[in-house]
Amino acid sequence: MTTTTTATRPVGSPAASTDAGRGVTFPRLLRSEQIKLWSVRSTPWVLGITALVIVGITALFSAVATSNTDPGPDAHTVGVQVLGPATQMAQLALAVIGVLTITGEYSTGMIRSSLTAAPRRTPVIWSKLVVLFLTVLVTAAVAVAVAIGIQALIVNGRGFSLDFGDAEVQRLLVGTVLYLATIGAFAFALGALLRHSAAALATVLGLLVVVENLFFIPWKPLSYIHPFLPSTAGLKLTYSDADIASLNDQMRGPDFTAWQGYGILVAWVVVLLACALWRLKKRDA
Amino acid sequence: MIEAQALTKRYGDKTAVDGITFTVQPGKVTGFLGPNGAGKSTTMRMIMGLDRPTRGSVTVNGRPYEKFRSPLTEVGALLEAKAVHTGRSARNHLRALAATHGIPDKRVDEVIEMTGLQQVAKRRVGGFSLGMGQRLGIAVALLGDPRTLILDEPVNGLDPEGVLWVRNLVKYLASEGRTIFLSSHLMSEMALTADHLIVIGRGRIITDGPVDQVIAQATTTTVRVRSPHAARIAELVAGPGVTVASPEPGLLELHGIESPAVGEAAAREGLVLHELTPVRGSLEEAYMSLTSEAVEYHSSTVPGTHLDGPAAATAEEATR
Repeated sequence: MTTTTTATRPVGSPAASTDAGRGVTFPRLLRSEQIKLWSVRSTPWVLGITALVIVGITALFSAVATSNTDPGPDAHTVGVQVLGPATQMAQLALAVIGVLTITGEYSTGMIRSSLTAAPRRTPVIWSKLVVLFLTVLVTAAVAVAVAIGIQALIVNGRGFSLDFGDAEVQRLLVGTVLYLATIGAFAFALGALLRHSAAALATVLGLLVVVENLFFIPWKPLSYIHPFLPSTAGLKLTYSDADIASLNDQMRGPDFTAWQGYGILVAWVVVLLACALWRLKKRDA
Repeated sequence: MIEAQALTKRYGDKTAVDGITFTVQPGKVTGFLGPNGAGKSTTMRMIMGLDRPTRGSVTVNGRPYEKFRSPLTEVGALLEAKAVHTGRSARNHLRALAATHGIPDKRVDEVIEMTGLQQVAKRRVGGFSLGMGQRLGIAVALLGDPRTLILDEPVNGLDPEGVLWVRNLVKYLASEGRTIFLSSHLMSEMALTADHLIVIGRGRIITDGPVDQVIAQATTTTVRVRSPHAARIAELVAGPGVTVASPEPGLLELHGIESPAVGEAAAREGLVLHELTPVRGSLEEAYMSLTSEAVEYHSSTVPGTHLDGPAAATAEEATR
């Protein structure tokens, strides 16, 4: 590409000197999405609330769960299991940010600016997903680390202290962080497919909260589907081996291990994302 | 250069753009003129790869828009003001778009200054006025210093200073050899800005040519004569092909005759003339007569505001 530049030109020339390096690349799209994510107010708010919820609720439950029980056989994981209620709450906040990251572009018309800058279209979605996933992952990791630190202060001396060398404890810690980031991606994929904030939020929260409860209706066919729900399946990664075993005993349908359950949640994300990308590629923006 | 070949866009059974073929040449300002719903915006969205053509193709500098490795430095577009996240500041909006091409923040500040947005650049776009949103849209279009500029209704909502600025800017950019494609329904603005016109109505091209030629084709020249001997002059010039109208006493409007002939006829008889003016048709008249049958959305008739258009259009609608 040749660019002719004259000194008098009022538009100037941004980078006549760096001309060779111009053009859309994936790292540049990541940088753009990072600017986009952090330049709307909802991002620091939602991530801040998420972190607070994880730390606060974990501290609360640590105090309660270990105050009047004796250390039993499950004691080595109780310290991590207290993350459970916090995870349930935090996922709702992360679902909101996952959805809004993409539907906010559709509702404001920003998507047309984004697609004009990157007319191949699909890289816009990929770069958004990567930035969102990593941001949520880091936030959740920091929050869980702080929560576990506080929890250690509370429960130390009560016989619940954590052994970080234990494989199950490691899986529970990593699993909680991974589950939260993946729920963000799940909400994002639904938002990308539905393109409408209210519709996508209702669907995500419906799937995570409302539908899960419907499955307690004792009707046989329902119980076969239950293990395949995104939250039911994915949350297994945050349950102790003993809990998963007793859960599998109670539920009909296939028995999934922790990582199989997480795989089902990932499959939800992949399928939804594939539909969203297909729609983006085919349809008018 | 923008080239459209048999470009067609259908939404369901409604044809928005109906097989249009045109070329927008570099080095001049090409106006894209048409009533609401004529297909201007749809055409521009297809150029920018946002809408997929049902049939046909459109290329910029020989390539479809989505094939550019560096689209913002090839084509800058203002398609609709406020294709902007309302929660983001103007500067961050520009920074996010610039980042996709590795355009430095220095250039972002340049376009902010150029479009007069310094005072509001850090404010959230949601609170912007129409004119400010428009300026931001133009800033986005200029961001990559593109060779081709596509502006949909750029002066919409701008103050007079802004209108003048846009007019001078596009003329300057065209003089540098860039391709400028500008849509508007403001005929007066087009008459001042554009060198070449493409007039579209109901998804089809009605006319395509230099501004002067479009006006000359679509309007007839009127000769206005003011004289105390108006009645006598009317008799003198009467003849085949000449029509005479007299909107008020002492004033004649003649069609089908040139002003020198009128002046000479009066001189031979020794008649006094107070005024003898050839009145060239305006772009507005040309536009009205060209698009009268292609108007999609009719306003209710207000007496005296248009030529023969609405009657013809109504008749056509009745036959549908």
